[in-house]
Amino acid sequence: MDLTDKEYVERCRDGHQEDFRVLVDRYQKPLFAYLAGRLRDGRQVEEAAQESFVRAFLSLKKLRKPESFYSWLLGIAGRVAKEQLRSLKHRQQDCEVTESIMANAADSQEENYPLEEAIAALPETYRQVILLRYYEGLSCQEIATRLALPLGTVTKTLSRAYALLRQELAARESAEPTVNQTELP
Amino acid sequence: MNCAECRENLVACVEGLLDREESLQCQAHLETCAACRAEYTAITRLQRQLVARGQATAEVSLVEPVMRQVHREQFKPERETIMSKLLKHRWGLGLGATATAAVIILIAFLSTPKIQAAAAEVMTKGAQAVARLASIHLHGQVRSAPAENFGDVNSTEDFTSIELWKQFEPELKWRIEKPGRVAAMDGQSTLLLVKPMNLAMKISHPASSAFDTGWLQKIADLSNTITNELNNALAKGWKLSLTEERGTDGRTKSVVTVEAKAGLPDNDYLKNKSFDTSDTRRVYRFDSQNGLLEAVQVYLAGKSGETLIFELNQIDYNQSIDPSVFQFELPANVNWYKEELPKLADNDKYANMTAQESARALFEACGREDWVEAGKFFPMPVPTLFRQYLGGLQLISVGEPFNSKGAGPSDVFVPYELKLKDGSVKQMNLHLRKDTQSGRWFYCGGI
Repeated sequence: MDLTDKEYVERCRDGHQEDFRVLVDRYQKPLFAYLAGRLRDGRQVEEAAQESFVRAFLSLKKLRKPESFYSWLLGIAGRVAKEQLRSLKHRQQDCEVTESIMANAADSQEENYPLEEAIAALPETYRQVILLRYYEGLSCQEIATRLALPLGTVTKTLSRAYALLRQELAARESAEPTVNQTELP
Repeated sequence: MNCAECRENLVACVEGLLDREESLQCQAHLETCAACRAEYTAITRLQRQLVARGQATAEVSLVEPVMRQVHREQFKPERETIMSKLLKHRWGLGLGATATAAVIILIAFLSTPKIQAAAAEVMTKGAQAVARLASIHLHGQVRSAPAENFGDVNSTEDFTSIELWKQFEPELKWRIEKPGRVAAMDGQSTLLLVKPMNLAMKISHPASSAFDTGWLQKIADLSNTITNELNNALAKGWKLSLTEERGTDGRTKSVVTVEAKAGLPDNDYLKNKSFDTSDTRRVYRFDSQNGLLEAVQVYLAGKSGETLIFELNQIDYNQSIDPSVFQFELPANVNWYKEELPKLADNDKYANMTAQESARALFEACGREDWVEAGKFFPMPVPTLFRQYLGGLQLISVGEPFNSKGAGPSDVFVPYELKLKDGSVKQMNLHLRKDTQSGRWFYCGGI
């Protein structure tokens, strides 16, 4: 059975760095979607996602709440995205294309990335089922097999996860993004 | 069914997990209860957003590049490890030892991070030679039908040509072409044309990989390909070997062979039907002196032996590529593939059908040559080619649907047998997918 984020973070800190692979595999797709909401250029998104994971790896020892790994990772990614946009703006200050990218990124912040933040705010049990169902593309039956749970438990967990996500999204509608501002790498 | 029961079963209903009776009860309750209907709508709206996220990131593959960087950071101070010394020493032994025969110098299961880093260092030496590529043009051949999906392989098919043009600088652009199918990304958007079906699909942003071209795009990413293969081999326990041999041009060649496993059971329907679902042996051949990749062969590892399914026999580096290569004209009457099916006036009739019922209804409509009805099961107007082929058919049987671990969660395969107008009998599996928005099963392949 898969270990929790906390257990993998602790193993990485104990010298099993190869286990970081599992955390990358677990969160690469939602992280990519989150960054795609901020940076429209595919290569920029890919670079930012890689950079975010590497920074996270190098800062793992500073993570105070290992169970909040994904939320912390999004915080890092948010800063990497800002740096990229700033650097792009500096490089091409007068270029209309840059302005357009910046404008798109600003627009998309409104509509796109709260979903990934809301997923990050879910308790791990619910987040795991959402990630397996939508980012790994598993059916409910396959999730039940993977997690050794009855099918009914999977659908009930999904049902609760949807409710929590909707609550979280509604709460964020009027609020500024606040991903893990307190714990900097 | 009352409200509490409906709410309890709502996700199972949305997921299509209820039996027919329960599903009908749930639907009946939703028709009469505005509160439960609002809940249902909210769930399906959220589900659509999540499905779109999943689809948009389906080809994301960051594990190997990230782990490679992590290894670099981890071993920065250690310029030379014991394993790297060993590898360099033994690598040297092969040089000039035999004129023509390959000399196997290392076959190993590598297990520790230090060895991984050392071996990656050795194997990326060649890739570094092309790390600052401006463009690449690959010429190869693949066993697949000329218009089939770019990811498709079929060991019983003849070879068909496949080419990739990729410009890295100043801006990423690419084009991949088989005789019956072409896809291109011109820096603005990404376009696919399936020629025999006159069918097009457009992604409105510049995708670095799309339309199942990921496997070939990865080969073109030369500076990462070999280390990716190495890291996969290490992570998944694949067998990896390094050999040296003398090429026909008299120069020494370094050959890296990876035996990759798809991770699917042998009895899975999609096993060995595409690059991603096949067990393969991949052979990369480098010129040892200049470090350039010269050729790639991919063999399908079937039960009865190996079959060469892909061969890359010419690679042009840094040639100027005309910008027009990354664009192509669409026929005036092209049919567009719809990413989401529209809701029909009588949508419920079709949304309530099982996959088996949908397959039957589709084929029966083709038999009557009722293309409006048949079109309700297609994400595009029924192509002329299909009309000519399926018109007037006689349906013999439709079997029980089944799933594949190599396909998505909303995909099923429905066995069928039918008699075509020319008298021939055809037995195949119809690939159907459940559309999230309309709830209808629609055609994805298998005709």
